[in-house]
Amino acid sequence: MDRVEADLDLVDVRRVLAGDPEGFEGIVRRWQGPLINLAYRFVRDRGRAEDMAQEAFLKIFQQLARFRGDSAFSTWMFSVALNVYRSSLRRRAPPSVPLDAVAGMVGRSAPQLALEEAQREELVRRAVAALPPRYRDALTVFYFKDKDLAETARILEVPKGTAKALLHRGRKLLQRKLGVLGAAPSSAREAHA
Amino acid sequence: MTADDLDRILASEEPLIPSSGFAAATMERVRESASAPPPLPFPWHRFLLGLLVMLALSGLGGWAAVRLHAMEALGSAFGYVLADPHLWLPLAGAGVALAGTYLLVGLTLGFTGASR
Repeated sequence: MDRVEADLDLVDVRRVLAGDPEGFEGIVRRWQGPLINLAYRFVRDRGRAEDMAQEAFLKIFQQLARFRGDSAFSTWMFSVALNVYRSSLRRRAPPSVPLDAVAGMVGRSAPQLALEEAQREELVRRAVAALPPRYRDALTVFYFKDKDLAETARILEVPKGTAKALLHRGRKLLQRKLGVLGAAPSSAREAHA
Repeated sequence: MTADDLDRILASEEPLIPSSGFAAATMERVRESASAPPPLPFPWHRFLLGLLVMLALSGLGGWAAVRLHAMEALGSAFGYVLADPHLWLPLAGAGVALAGTYLLVGLTLGFTGASR
């Protein structure tokens, strides 16, 4: 997020709080992509992701007076959106993933894997969406925010250490489910975050 | 597939482009929300006042029931005791037991009746 974008957000927020709902349009136009994409990572369904993002925007609009400016507007906005997405996922969970299908691909030959790469990647992402909610949320937000641990912790509203532990356990759980062996990835990058 | 492959897969995702009408449809809902009357807040002050009145009445009812029934019981027992001196002791015990029972029943009825 750049400085200009953050300033534009604050201008729009003040406009809405002053009684002009049209000021919210700028926020919707700037953040529709990120909010839809975050929702998509949870449900892997474009139509439902857009419905969820719309609900999130509505909630953000209704709760705008609660934004105190303690954090960046985008952080607060993603935090509200995440809560909306969690509620939606509690009401209707995305279809379960046949993890055996992913694990079964591990032993296949290189040409077969190459052919199935896109499908395999999609199944791995669906496997993340099928993790227990706290690990699912941590992994999803972490990768969505380009592995920014501090920002992930702020959006999840947990201390940084807790976010790191959730990511570690989430990855281990995912690896166990997928039958993947190897060291936990990007631990060095997190240590610097 | 290694753990680093997992990391790479999760870090790389093709971004979705929002549908063309998404922003307009969202703003339509925002406008509807803005023009709708604000939801009625829960009347906490009235609720708490009502609760306090209810508790006070309940206490008063319980106290009145206990007092009334206990006095009646003691009065009856006292009459028998006066008529036959041999019954003074057992009847006094019975009167106390009756009063105790009335006390419990009266308290229960008082609270239950007041809460309706």
